[in-house]
Amino acid sequence: MKTNELGLNTNKLNTNKLNRSKLNIKKITNKYMLEIILLSIVIIMTFTSRGFFTTANLLNILRNMSLQGVIAFGMTMVIIAGEIDLSIGSTVALSGVIIALTTGRLEKAGIMPMEQGVWIGILLAFIAAGLFGLFNGFLLTKFKMPSFIITLAMLNALYGLAAVLSKGFPVTTLPKWYDVFGAGQVFGVIPVPAIILLAVFAIVFIVMTYTKFGRSVYAVGGNPEAARLSGINVKFVKIVCLVVVQLCAALSGLLVSSQVMSGAFSFGRGWEMTAISSAIIGGASLSGGIGKVWGTLVGLIILGVINNSMTLLGVDEYVQYIVRGLLILIAVLINTIQTQKKD
Amino acid sequence: MSVLETRNIVKTYPGTIALNDVSVSFESGKVHALVGKNGSGKSTLVKIFSGAIEPTRGEILIDGVRMNFSDPRDAFAKGIATVYQELSLVPGLTVAENILIGRLPMRGRFVDWKKTFAIADELLKEMNVDIPPDEVVYNLSVWQCQMVEIVKAMSFRPKVLQLDEPTSALAQHEIQALFKMIRELKKKDVVIIYVTHRLHELWQIADTCTVLRDGCLIGTIPMQEATHKDIIKMMFGDVEIHTRPHDLKVEDDVVLEVKDLTRKNKFENISFRLKKGEILGIAGMLGSGRTELLKSIFGADPFDSGEIYINGQRIFSPSPVKMKKAGLALTSEDRKHEGLNQIASIKDNLCIASLDLIAKGAFIQKHRENEFAQRQVNELNIKVSDIRDSVSSLSGGNQQKVVVGNWLNTNPKVIFFDEPSRGIDVKAKQQIFQIIWEQSRKGVSSIMVSSELEELLEVCHRILIMREGRIVGEIKPEEVKIEELYSLCMGGEKN
Repeated sequence: MKTNELGLNTNKLNTNKLNRSKLNIKKITNKYMLEIILLSIVIIMTFTSRGFFTTANLLNILRNMSLQGVIAFGMTMVIIAGEIDLSIGSTVALSGVIIALTTGRLEKAGIMPMEQGVWIGILLAFIAAGLFGLFNGFLLTKFKMPSFIITLAMLNALYGLAAVLSKGFPVTTLPKWYDVFGAGQVFGVIPVPAIILLAVFAIVFIVMTYTKFGRSVYAVGGNPEAARLSGINVKFVKIVCLVVVQLCAALSGLLVSSQVMSGAFSFGRGWEMTAISSAIIGGASLSGGIGKVWGTLVGLIILGVINNSMTLLGVDEYVQYIVRGLLILIAVLINTIQTQKKD
Repeated sequence: MSVLETRNIVKTYPGTIALNDVSVSFESGKVHALVGKNGSGKSTLVKIFSGAIEPTRGEILIDGVRMNFSDPRDAFAKGIATVYQELSLVPGLTVAENILIGRLPMRGRFVDWKKTFAIADELLKEMNVDIPPDEVVYNLSVWQCQMVEIVKAMSFRPKVLQLDEPTSALAQHEIQALFKMIRELKKKDVVIIYVTHRLHELWQIADTCTVLRDGCLIGTIPMQEATHKDIIKMMFGDVEIHTRPHDLKVEDDVVLEVKDLTRKNKFENISFRLKKGEILGIAGMLGSGRTELLKSIFGADPFDSGEIYINGQRIFSPSPVKMKKAGLALTSEDRKHEGLNQIASIKDNLCIASLDLIAKGAFIQKHRENEFAQRQVNELNIKVSDIRDSVSSLSGGNQQKVVVGNWLNTNPKVIFFDEPSRGIDVKAKQQIFQIIWEQSRKGVSSIMVSSELEELLEVCHRILIMREGRIVGEIKPEEVKIEELYSLCMGGEKN
């Protein structure tokens, strides 16, 4: 009898333990779902496509992602603050045009050779982007216009401005050394844009995770009125986020123009899509207050890997659009279902 | 002639009895006021009539026929229409569309617009409402929306029309216009149930007054025979008022002074002084300008003129950022929308206002953050399993403590408590009061606003009475009875 009872007891204990470990596995898979998805894609691709898991291809993914990727982190801040910026694609184009034009004009006027003049161009591009961010933020906070509409309008206006300034042609007045940003390599292998991408990631990660300002962004996005009544300067926080994303876009414009060695109004078209999808796949909520910078990085890599895989597998370019679109829908669907479950 | 009647209605919720054996009848052609303080059961009764909730026991009869409402649509179909405080009109549609929504006249597959406007026009005219049927509701003011709602409800020819606090958002002249309309309605052989907390209106509009207290029917009296004192006595009965602990002291230093503060249409010429350690109550009915006053002093809302001094220093153009630095704190009446970030953790919500103290330079110090959160959890006795859990997982009382804790972390000198006991249970209320008293012992002053007047009498050193945006009196809790305080707030005579 005794042993029987004992046996029963230990049995119970065992099932308890089993339940707990089951729960833990569920928790862990939930927590690291993105990473698991990424890993699965990488493993599948490694076995299906011989060209995938090679140094050259992986570096290629990294380089391709970087140009658009730098914007994703600024976008994550904006989305967590409960806003959106759709205009960044045009800022990318305009920045490249401003850099190349300024460099060319300065040399033509005999003020400065291209080698140095390009620095003035870069400075101007960043100042312009900062001003666009301020302008968006001003309209948002002063007149309470929705950022969606403000930046949708700016997307068109800045695109037109870039086309007008460049007269519709690529501007190529750039010094030879300038290609170092977009096409350079450190130690002969690691692409410079990838390093810049990681630097931007690190800065935004630290700001959002460890600083007072980062906390304020989450508070503002989560409940602006509660944040305001807690003595947080809501307008300031939102404006800063809108400026940061524009500066990220200018940086992206610098990288693209450097890689192609020209500035053209057609650059950056549709890049807001990549930036926003990375953030959303990474778990950011468009209603604000929720999002992780690390998640955005993983989301970005997932997008990069999927793009690259589709190209390697010879998927039609337009079919790729369909896949990317569906991907975002699925990501949002999963997010929505999870938040509904919580409620 | 029709009659709405209840027989032995009981409604219980786990732990409480909302209505206890209520039998009452209302006849048509008259306005029947339904009054009672918060929690008396009057809203429960209205909801039972409208089919929103089912009674635990008892029956409802219309003209002697027993009714069983399965849902609001059912109650509506059987002749009970209810116009709620929160209006349900669609702002983007016209008045005519709103009145006829769901039953627009059709011509084949298309809406017959000509007929729509004609019918709506007729309905409006019938009620003597001077609003064009093609006006978009968005352009109407609240009282006009109120009227459209009533026209819409009446167009179904109901036997009973319930009006839930119809005047709470209206100005004086708008109230008169609404009353005129209600008096017209009396001719229409309909039972009008009128729920209000504005007692002085009753003599203008009601024929009878039915009083509920703690879920029980106290009685119904005709308005001609009723005095202000009678009704208040029926509402409150003999309440036992607790007194604050005796060791609370008020020091002589003035920490906050407000001079002639005015915000147009909200409050006017407000002046008072708040001393160190003092707990000052502001009594007043909903809409008397209490919340607006606190918000303006705190810098969250603007004001037109007046001066604010903290420790003798004048504060120019206040903002929440500035006032927090100066030592002010405000716990909002609306916990859900203004107090907490519901999607964030308990810890984050306890540390939002005090980020400046937690950070060293720009960087958050994690150990301090945990310290700050844990301190409030311990001192305020907040029931949590893990401070990283979402704040929305807490009960109302514990959420309120988080709101208070968030501010205590800023080491304030003055705390504004706006309706601190709203939506929390009796035990949690007492705990919140303990917190306010404890702050007083530490030399922190408080201003408390509450619709529950007995709470003010229990908690405060001194109470200002606010009515229609003005301070009309000042009392000491020791010297006044609850009925008198209520009369003062209502604007009725003292006797």
